[in-house]
Amino acid sequence: MNRTPAELHTNRRRALQLLSSSLAIALTRCGEPREEIVPYVEMPERLVPGIPVRYATALPMAGYGRGVLGITIDGRPIKLEGNPRDEFGGGGTDIFAESAVLSLYDPDRSRIPIKDGIVASWEQFSGEWANGPGAGTANGGAGMALVTGRITSPTMLAGITALKMRYPELRQYRYEAAHDDAPRLGAQRAFGRNLDVIPHLGQADVIVVLDADPLGPGPNFLHNANEFSLRRNSQQPQRIHVAESGLTLMGAMADRRIAVRPQRIAQIARALASGFGVNTGAPGLSPSETAFVQTAAADLKQAGRGLILAGETQSGSVHALAHFLNSQLHAPVDLLNPADPEEQNHAASFSAFLRDVESGQIRSLIILDANPVYDSADSRQLAKAIAAIPFSVHCGCYANETADACRWHLPLSHPLESWGDLKSPGGATLLMQPLIRTLYDTRSSAELLNLLTMAAPMGARDLVRANWMPSGGSDFEQWWRQSLTAGVVPNSAPAPVSATAAMPSFETVQDPPQGVTLSLVPSPSVWDGRYANNAWLQECPAPFTKEVWGNAVQLSPEDAARIGVGFGDAIILRRGYSEIEAVAAVLKGQPQGAARAFLGQGRWRAGDIGNGIGVRMTALCPTGLERQIDGISIRAGGKTGLIHTTQYHTKLEGRDEDIFPLAASAQIASRLAQLKPDTGGIVPPLPADPYAWAMVIDNNLCIGCNACVIACQAENNVAVVGPDEVDLGRDMHWLRVDVYELDEADGLRRGFQPVPCMHCETAPCEPVCPVAASVHDHEGLNVQVYNRCIGTRFCESNCPYKVRRFNFFGYSRGQEYGNLGQPPVRAQHNPNVSVRGRGVMEKCTYCVQRISAARKNAEKEDRLIRDGEVKPACAVACPTHAIQFGNRNDANSAVAQLQHDPRHFSLLAHLDTRPRTTYLAKVWNPPAGQTG
Amino acid sequence: MAQLFRPGANTVARTVMVAIIAVPILAIVLTFALWESPYATSQFVTQNQPVPFSHEHHVGRLGLDCRYCHTGVEQAAFAGLPPTHTCMTCHSQIWTTAAMLEPVRQSLAQNQPIRWVRVNRVPDYVYFDHSIHVAKGVGCTTCHGPIGRMPLTYRGEPLTMGWCLSCHRHPGSFVRPRDQVFNPDWQVPEDQDRAGAALVRQYMIDTSGLTDCSRCHR
Repeated sequence: MNRTPAELHTNRRRALQLLSSSLAIALTRCGEPREEIVPYVEMPERLVPGIPVRYATALPMAGYGRGVLGITIDGRPIKLEGNPRDEFGGGGTDIFAESAVLSLYDPDRSRIPIKDGIVASWEQFSGEWANGPGAGTANGGAGMALVTGRITSPTMLAGITALKMRYPELRQYRYEAAHDDAPRLGAQRAFGRNLDVIPHLGQADVIVVLDADPLGPGPNFLHNANEFSLRRNSQQPQRIHVAESGLTLMGAMADRRIAVRPQRIAQIARALASGFGVNTGAPGLSPSETAFVQTAAADLKQAGRGLILAGETQSGSVHALAHFLNSQLHAPVDLLNPADPEEQNHAASFSAFLRDVESGQIRSLIILDANPVYDSADSRQLAKAIAAIPFSVHCGCYANETADACRWHLPLSHPLESWGDLKSPGGATLLMQPLIRTLYDTRSSAELLNLLTMAAPMGARDLVRANWMPSGGSDFEQWWRQSLTAGVVPNSAPAPVSATAAMPSFETVQDPPQGVTLSLVPSPSVWDGRYANNAWLQECPAPFTKEVWGNAVQLSPEDAARIGVGFGDAIILRRGYSEIEAVAAVLKGQPQGAARAFLGQGRWRAGDIGNGIGVRMTALCPTGLERQIDGISIRAGGKTGLIHTTQYHTKLEGRDEDIFPLAASAQIASRLAQLKPDTGGIVPPLPADPYAWAMVIDNNLCIGCNACVIACQAENNVAVVGPDEVDLGRDMHWLRVDVYELDEADGLRRGFQPVPCMHCETAPCEPVCPVAASVHDHEGLNVQVYNRCIGTRFCESNCPYKVRRFNFFGYSRGQEYGNLGQPPVRAQHNPNVSVRGRGVMEKCTYCVQRISAARKNAEKEDRLIRDGEVKPACAVACPTHAIQFGNRNDANSAVAQLQHDPRHFSLLAHLDTRPRTTYLAKVWNPPAGQTG
Repeated sequence: MAQLFRPGANTVARTVMVAIIAVPILAIVLTFALWESPYATSQFVTQNQPVPFSHEHHVGRLGLDCRYCHTGVEQAAFAGLPPTHTCMTCHSQIWTTAAMLEPVRQSLAQNQPIRWVRVNRVPDYVYFDHSIHVAKGVGCTTCHGPIGRMPLTYRGEPLTMGWCLSCHRHPGSFVRPRDQVFNPDWQVPEDQDRAGAALVRQYMIDTSGLTDCSRCHR
């Protein structure tokens, strides 16, 4: 209805009409919303509405499995935690496991089969398959190709075997974008066959790390982090020497670290080996490299058990050398027959695939949960080649870049909706059971293989059971129930094999070529890009740059100065004729001449969240799977030029005693005695309640992996704000992990410090609130009453720790970022935590809902809460057990004991805020002759 | 010159002066009275339900235990409403043709749940938990009123925060022995002050933290 301006003009009559009608509306009872209660017709047995139920299942990570416990409330999975019975992982989680529950409800997941961009059906596909390529059994399926990622699932492998039985000419290609070809090559050279080498970080007295990141993201992360922490918690010191070409989480834990170009690592490895009687020629080393090698070699000789770890960007010969040295040193490594039975290496398989697609040898192509178009360096070329194939089908959770090129797209079920099995890198078999019925018309991978084999239709559960029937023994049902309850097939972990590493041959090491060497490593937030549409992960700060929503190229200050760029400036990277525009992140501790960037960004068909974030670094590769690219020229310029970070200052500015004390292990007691807070303030202490909740965080154990951040986000309905709001400093994480440079001069070492709310006993936020929305409860929690909050933000201003978060917009209600406001996402919300609206302050609650649940359980039994009964989400998630929580009033509780540790200190203690969250100082164990 | 003020002017002036003081006070008092009145709290309001279920009949006369239908009350926050199958345990045998029960039979036949209208409701930001209240001797009728005498279910108490706090401040005035929790006819005994205080000690109810915001809000 169009109105003239005159009609829109409010005259006196109209104003009075509006006034009286609004008054009438106000006076009429607003009333409560009419609500319905809809009970079941027939209630499932043992179900009590509102009671969380835990199921053991497993999640894939690059094809390997990790055990998780899914918490479901009223049939909705809302949170995942580590499964302690998965002994390989040790019970913690990482960000990928924590965020899987958001991916389950991702509105961008594909929901229905698609043919040529038009909605189709499963029946239509089966028909076309049966009449098309599937009928070609006469020629043995010649021209048929299957592309997969790494597969360890016994049921899937059986399915592929069945497929190959039916189509003997079927070619299988298997690759992971974030692959492990170098370790495989190393094992092939050293042992003559493929072996998985599983290190035991905890059992080594000296670890020499050659450009590896055992504490970085990856399938082995949980295992390594757990073992690392167990040793670090013990009284036996361990020394870690790290030579690396970029900042890694392991490097941050180093007692001695040097940063060198990646090509130098091979020289260092050879120099190290020559100290053990291996004739490696005499590599020329710089003085700092020589010093590193000498201290490392001396330590290795003295130590009970040494361990040498080589990184995935290094060559196979470095790995072979590491294997050889490890066997000489009797290093604590387990050699296992590979969980991934594929013989071929990833890069070789991928190149073969590219070659065969280009040459037109493939007539029908099945791509199972892989994304070669994105992973390939020349995506456009590959997409064109795939589009020319007469029958191509892509199966995946998302209709991604590859699905665009294929004729068919078939939707896969999310792992949390599927039956299946997986092997952990340690070899134990984990069972997957669905936590929820499939949300859409999707199939699991096992069902899909069964469909392609054109066997009798079977559900995934039956397929898994059929595959395990022979192993179950006489009482299969009993065995099945037991395995399913535990999530782990009993006694399935294989015994290590013994093999002797041969002395490797050496290639001539070339000098570093001209230009910068770019190392491509899996992203600590989106891995190889498969998690790019997960908003929690995109907004998860990278450990060192604290970058979110992007993948800046990490440059050394020297290189940046030479190019003439600063932190966040636009750069152009060039190799041959390939050129990409990116952003520079200048980082101390990055070696000159070496740049480092994360894979997995720059996607264009990831979904609403992941599209157009960052840069696709693999465009610089020759094929797409290279992890180290030489001869890159970098110059300033380009259109992009914005880096989104959550921490702007990483220097301690001489206030380390107050913020992040670091003590050499020999001096802990004396160094920290002076740090005891002065508790003689004028404010009286809080009255003694049965409970005084407190948290102790061990900086020495924190490896900066962010698992706690994402766990908190999942548990507490913490909103995602998006890159623009992050730039305004409005990120909502209740728990952040701060990173500090521990060496002012060279920035070689870093320290991590998780910062949740301190729950100060004399909280500065409380007296400034005009409406008493920030108050204390009797158990010492500083609580935020959302309904009282009027959004003055005085509390945030007065908080010295800056842990309060304000809803400038309805980040969770009404103004969500991207697709996060769509109905499926709401199903993830924890029903026991309020979803905060616009204009409200929020912050860490110590997971008050978990305290409340534990208190109710205890009170129903007329007893007090036991130590360890309350565990906040962050503490449960932490793979290194760095976060302890409990009742400080109970002298026997873990936190009360830790508060007597000589390393114990309070953050900004001089303010006398008496925080309930306190810390244990980081300790380092410097080699002889080096002091702090 | 005519009189400026007529004789009634004094009365008007006095009335206005009184009103200046009285009206705001009355307005505030009235607002609060209205706020807490059944008009605003929906107390005593019955709702149109798909089946006119009578607690008076089932509980008061037949003596069904509350937990027969509200199965979650001792374990969960939500007491739970009975699935259709629970209704049909009896009504597949008795009153099998009653017109009143047609929706129940339809629900079973068509596997469609009965959609009841909620009577007792607290806002979403209140994390009320039935199980702990029941465990600590708060009886059904304490919050739900004389449920055994309700032919149609209505809200027996105002369920406002002030009403909640009246018990959270003085639980001794309301708690009862555990074996009386589900008794719809339990009456507050003469010596509730003494008996209640004893029960509070026995149940280990720590009254200091009962009025913490975090007890009910998160």
